[in-house]
Amino acid sequence: MGDRDITVNINGKDITVPATMSAIQAVWHAGHPRVHGVGCLEGVCGACKVFVRRAGRSIITTELGCQTMVEDGMQIIFLVFPTPNHHTYQLDDFKNSWDTQAQFHQIFPEAAHCRHCGGCTKSCPVEIDVEHGVNLATEGKFREAGELFLECVMCGLCLTSCPEEITPNHVGLFCRRITAYFHIRPSNLINRLEEIRKGEYRIVEG
Amino acid sequence: MSEGIPRKMALQNYFKGKGSRALPPEEVDIANLLEEYHPDYYEDTLVTLQTGPNKGERCHKDLAAILQADALIDDTDLAGAFVHETDLLVIGGGGAGCAAALAAAENGARVILSTKLRLGDSNTVMAEGGIQASIESGDTPMMHYEDTLKSGHFRGESRLIAALVMDGPEVIRWLIQKGMQFDQNPFGDLLTRRAGGTSHDRVVYCRDYTGLEMMRVLREAVRNGKTEVLEYSPVVELLTNETGHCAGAVIFSLDRAAYLLIKARSVIMATGGIGRLHLNGFPTSNHFGATADGLVLAYRLGARLKDIDSFQYHPTGMAYPASMAGSLITEGVRSAGAHLLNGLGNRFIDELKQRDCVTAAILRECAEGRGIVTDGGNRGVWLDTPTLERENPGILERRFPKLLQRGKICNIDPAGEPMLVYPTLHYQNGGVEIDENGSTTVPGLYAVGEVSGGIHGRNRIMGNALLEIICFGRRAGNKASETIHGRGHKKFTIEHTKNLSRELTNAGLSMEIKSPTLFPDYANFGIKQ
Ligand SMILES: Cc1cc2nc3c(=O)[nH]c(=O)nc-3n(C[C@H](O)[C@H](O)[C@H](O)COP(=O)(O)OP(=O)(O)OC[C@H]3O[C@@H](n4cnc5c(N)ncnc54)[C@H](O)[C@@H]3O)c2cc1C
Ligand code: SF4
Ligand code: SF4
Ligand code: FES
Repeated sequence: MGDRDITVNINGKDITVPATMSAIQAVWHAGHPRVHGVGCLEGVCGACKVFVRRAGRSIITTELGCQTMVEDGMQIIFLVFPTPNHHTYQLDDFKNSWDTQAQFHQIFPEAAHCRHCGGCTKSCPVEIDVEHGVNLATEGKFREAGELFLECVMCGLCLTSCPEEITPNHVGLFCRRITAYFHIRPSNLINRLEEIRKGEYRIVEG
Repeated sequence: MSEGIPRKMALQNYFKGKGSRALPPEEVDIANLLEEYHPDYYEDTLVTLQTGPNKGERCHKDLAAILQADALIDDTDLAGAFVHETDLLVIGGGGAGCAAALAAAENGARVILSTKLRLGDSNTVMAEGGIQASIESGDTPMMHYEDTLKSGHFRGESRLIAALVMDGPEVIRWLIQKGMQFDQNPFGDLLTRRAGGTSHDRVVYCRDYTGLEMMRVLREAVRNGKTEVLEYSPVVELLTNETGHCAGAVIFSLDRAAYLLIKARSVIMATGGIGRLHLNGFPTSNHFGATADGLVLAYRLGARLKDIDSFQYHPTGMAYPASMAGSLITEGVRSAGAHLLNGLGNRFIDELKQRDCVTAAILRECAEGRGIVTDGGNRGVWLDTPTLERENPGILERRFPKLLQRGKICNIDPAGEPMLVYPTLHYQNGGVEIDENGSTTVPGLYAVGEVSGGIHGRNRIMGNALLEIICFGRRAGNKASETIHGRGHKKFTIEHTKNLSRELTNAGLSMEIKSPTLFPDYANFGIKQ
């Protein structure tokens, strides 16, 4: 990896930068202001969605701008748009885990209408099998579905590509949350909480 | 720049198995190691503050420059500003801000949460290693207390630490009830790992995505609640009432390019850290918005700060490739058994000593020519991930998926090749002085999370930051919501900025610099352009 200069096109402007930069670093290096769509700079916050087309290729991919290294002839467009969620729920409203499946379909009625078009999976920059996750959730397999979404950065790209307005990322997060809410009951933690409640521990300051 | 061993040659040494993998002799003189190599002790980097509540105290010069700088705005900017009114204003959309907002909203307070970027674009989302809570049977809150105090070189506040460790288990329970997952053994117990410089396994985690999991859950909980969230809305100044009580803030909305006045009964500052100031020229592990704004705004209003000459440089930031410089590799990897090796292939420090010592030792290796140098001039030492994987097949995939993902992007397979690491500016050890409820020395102003100080003394252990943000975020949220029924404020002004200008002039300080910083200069963005 040398310090060879290359030319990329970002948001319609040609810029020449060293080949060792990410898309965001390249924009800054060229002197353009950019704060929208920049967050963690480490691939976990999902702020920096970009369209990318590589030289000589016709397909356009969706990626994270802080994790995409610039290449000669690459075209990049920053996607800065809100990704609104139209579902709300309170975990406290779930009283009995036997009812979770029924309640899930009330909160996310669209999930059962999945067309299996694969749009969500194709758009996911961290390569989650989103469609499979949605389908598992629809079948009530919440723990299994949630596990698929471990690395989800909530960028919302799957949400914007879903023709049925399913909000797959929020479905995935629901699956993870309901699993924790009902099924994580660690005896080591519970023992310690009991001991503290009984006043068995005091801190001697000094 | 000092000499070192070229990366290619060092790799050959590594693969030939050169050097000694035995534990090096115990460091005899830690104080001396720190004084000689830790960046907090670099000559010429500390100055004495000439204005404000900490006048006469030592402070890093880059921080001093913005603490003693003129305000970004004056009264003319406020003419025609939009006005909102609320009970409680929370500033900052990381973990601490969300915990505070959730707690206050659950008590019935009207809450506005205003944040510089999007909700969750923060240091919290990036946390990897985990969160401390003494839950194992051989462990006690008292041991947690002692470890925290000792690692901070006995400079932490005992009352705050006592509150922190006693809240630990309840914080984990609260997070689980909000829907956060933690890694468990086959019987459902929480798994724990050990933090450097501590006496027991006590860090619970969700693979190396603990912060991502926490932030996703908190964000969803806030979004599903009643809190009103303002994104791309950095706070540029605080408001006071007729008696100097904090009474809200001025926001610059990036989307509207306009000022917004938020009148509030009280304000919770949760703006996080300082990494993007790149103190002493170090790379940073922090998110884009970590520019010490909260310290500046609180100081200006008269809040006392603590330990502002002490910062944490995490031992293992990535040093290669250059585009990733500063990106964190979690301490969890060392905790699982990975060693640090210099360019000769020798171990040079007990990898699980407290962070400031390990960092100083790495800097010593580099300064004395045993470090590794890349073609681009970056320096570092090896983190021996291949041996860890060989001795525990599958461990990288099971415990550290984020590390593998990072490796993929830069074409390095951590299972086959050691990672080049160098210290990265990671955490602000001190901050705004608080009590057990997050109250600062200014009435009506609370500070929680990384922006606050007092818990970690001069060095923080892994996992205490995530615990702190939830513990004190909730405490401040609860406390602040007690005040919502009293009488409101009469006046809302930025009078204090005039006094500030006077003080600066009297001290003969430059009025050129304006603060808060909001964005690092390489983003080419200022609100008055
Ligand atoms: C890479 C990394 C790994 C880490 N790993 C761990 C770990 O394993 N365990 C652990 O305990 N700790 C860890 N830490 C530390 C821990 O994550 C942070 O200290 C903690 O999350 C800080 O939380 P916070 O809410 O105080 O600040 P943040 O999460 O940083 O949130 C602050 C928020 O305030 C916003 N803000 C800033 N200025 C303004 C302004 N002027 N107006 C409005 N909003 C503003 C920011 O944009 C941000 O959204 C890690 C940190 C990093 C960077
Ligand atoms: S699942 Fe959806 S929101 Fe999550 S990372 Fe993939 S595309 Fe982004
Ligand atoms: S984009 Fe929507 S409809 Fe298409 S597969 Fe994904 S969830 Fe189903
Ligand atoms: S900036 Fe956070 S994912 Fe790219």
